[in-house]
Amino acid sequence: MGTFFRAIAILTELAVLTTAVYVLLVGVKLALFDFGLNHKYQGFIEFVVIILGCLALVFLVSHVIAFYPRVSP
Amino acid sequence: MDSSHQAFWAGQETYILRVFLPVIIGFLVLLMGLMVLFALSFWWRHYRLWRLGKDENRFDQVATRLKGFFSVALANITIWKELYPGTMHFLILWGTIVVFVGKIVRLFSFWVGLSLPPQDIFLYASFASETGGVLVLMGGCMAVLRRYIIKPSRLSNKPENSLILLWGLAILLTGYLTKGYRIAAVGVPIPSDWFLWAPVSYQVSRFILILPSESLNELLVWHRVLIHALPATLFFAYLIVCHSPIQHIFLSPLNVFFRSLKPRGVPNPMLDLEEADTFGANDVSQFTWKQLLDLEACTNCGRCQDACPAHVSGKPLSPRRMTQNLKECLWRDGPKLLSVPPDQRQPEPLMGTTVSEDELWACTACMACEEVCPVSIQPLGRIMELRRYLVLMVSKIPSEGKHICKGLQHQGNPWGISRGSREEWAKNLGVKKLSEEAHPEVLFWVGCAGSFDDRNKKVAASLVKILQASAIPFGILGTEESCCGDPARRVGNEYLFQILAKANIEILHRYGVKKILTMCPHCFHTLKNEYPAFGGEFQVLHYTQFLAEILSQGKLRLSKPINKLITYHDSCYLGRGNEIYEAPRKILHSIPGLKLVEMDRHRNRSFCCGAGGGRMWMEERIGRRINQMRTDQAIQTKAEWVGTACPYCLTMLGDGIKELNQEERMAAFDLSELVERSI
Repeated sequence: MGTFFRAIAILTELAVLTTAVYVLLVGVKLALFDFGLNHKYQGFIEFVVIILGCLALVFLVSHVIAFYPRVSP
Repeated sequence: MDSSHQAFWAGQETYILRVFLPVIIGFLVLLMGLMVLFALSFWWRHYRLWRLGKDENRFDQVATRLKGFFSVALANITIWKELYPGTMHFLILWGTIVVFVGKIVRLFSFWVGLSLPPQDIFLYASFASETGGVLVLMGGCMAVLRRYIIKPSRLSNKPENSLILLWGLAILLTGYLTKGYRIAAVGVPIPSDWFLWAPVSYQVSRFILILPSESLNELLVWHRVLIHALPATLFFAYLIVCHSPIQHIFLSPLNVFFRSLKPRGVPNPMLDLEEADTFGANDVSQFTWKQLLDLEACTNCGRCQDACPAHVSGKPLSPRRMTQNLKECLWRDGPKLLSVPPDQRQPEPLMGTTVSEDELWACTACMACEEVCPVSIQPLGRIMELRRYLVLMVSKIPSEGKHICKGLQHQGNPWGISRGSREEWAKNLGVKKLSEEAHPEVLFWVGCAGSFDDRNKKVAASLVKILQASAIPFGILGTEESCCGDPARRVGNEYLFQILAKANIEILHRYGVKKILTMCPHCFHTLKNEYPAFGGEFQVLHYTQFLAEILSQGKLRLSKPINKLITYHDSCYLGRGNEIYEAPRKILHSIPGLKLVEMDRHRNRSFCCGAGGGRMWMEERIGRRINQMRTDQAIQTKAEWVGTACPYCLTMLGDGIKELNQEERMAAFDLSELVERSI
């Protein structure tokens, strides 16, 4: 039961963290174009954002699994 | 306070002072500096863009402006006209305000010793920020439901819209999680009353796993605070720096403050016609600064599009899309224009690129878009400027428009019928001309439709008979009357309008006219609201106002019953233009036996007949005919008659009935004809 509860907690945590990372990266992308970056770079920017997002996700998954509390509340 | 409360609060304060406050203060210090810079850059960028436009005074009547500003910005009165979006917006706005107030009170309470032991204000602030967040979440859910599931056609989804909703959700969720962690990690039993003061975070804390040591838990709370504070800070930066729809929280209230206080539908007069090098607008810098602010204040809500008869009837005009396209052009072209000296600027032309001629000529100048706009944007003023450019600078006008102008120029009426026949309708009616009778109480301004259009000549005759029955001395100008200039002005020929207006004003002054009674709402609007800019100040009444007044005074009595079911069509220039809704209904209620049934779109929501903006004389080649749509709406009420108080509307509805083969089922009348029948 404890393991199951922990898995649910980790997934919830990851969902919230992923949302936060996602909005920040999309915000950066939109801001770059809003500041006047030529739209011909859109593909490259999206590629970079996806890579950064994946890296952040990998880090968050490993970090949360490794350090998330194992004790019951 | 018992020992368990003290232990809990001591633990809470440890986390707050050691973890939360350093992060917040760090962010605040950084934030304050950045916010000042961001705020300055925000206003400077926008101010410079607006200053590209022409001057216009919008700093008069500050008290009235402030009243409108607060009623829209805080009470959202204009947004509440539609219940669902109104509720949604109100929840998000006031939820956010409550969250902020709660957060600020709690933040400062630590420095003034309100937190240990917690004083009432601290606890109420905690409750406020928790419930404020719930209100925002409720409003946000309504927004998601509407934008992504219901999907009304008027809403266009951009990536920015989704981003703002998701970002707001992330900030709220991380906020609740942070507080939940802080409560859970305190390591002592949580006081039972905390359930009341932190209703959401308390529940969150019950499901949170914590680490075995205090130092690890402190680290955990550090993480949570950062995960909340970083997106929140960057959201403020995004809000201030980027061109996103969320900027409406600053720009829309500002636009409401600087709204036009003139009667609706009065174009900006061009008072320097003789000296001006250019007329109208073909690039963003040729609009006024307020018209540029209008563009930036548009929230893309689409209410104008839903109300626009041209859009609803399938024509290429959408006031929302036109405003958004012009805004994109301002953002694209504005910085380029500002980067070079004014004499070296080469602005991007609007016609043919950002705005098409078809959408421009589709406008019926009905003001429905301006009526429904919650933030006082005026698309019609911009359309008039663009038409002025087409007509006065490049002579591009539909062929029917050319005929209108030619007729007005040579014969003083849009049909181009001989000026000499203007008074023929009054033969055998015993009407005196001003040139014959020195000082009648009232001048009856017949208008071109009443003088030249066969159907409306009967209306003019009815009105004469009513005035005679009421023993009110009146006179007409006869052949000295010219068109008031409304068709010329609405098709963009300001030059011709001013010639007509000045000639009419001169004649009216020569006869010492004080009180004018008009048959046509367009003449009424022009004489009352547009002539004063050229020195023509008169007491102008539409006949419905006049009849309602003499009926209530008992000067006119209606006795013959008319046992019919009637629906009333509000003319745009009587209703939205001058807010005359009651007088026509009062007249209808005064007629014995007549029963009034309203159409779905009535009063300020009335649907145009399709004749305004010069379109009375133009063919409708695209989409469905607007007059047929309005006739359909009248037929749906099951009324036998449709009444109106405008010659344009009477013609259009009469035509609509014929075109739909509904002559046996419905007939169109002017209100004066009904009154005459009932005398």
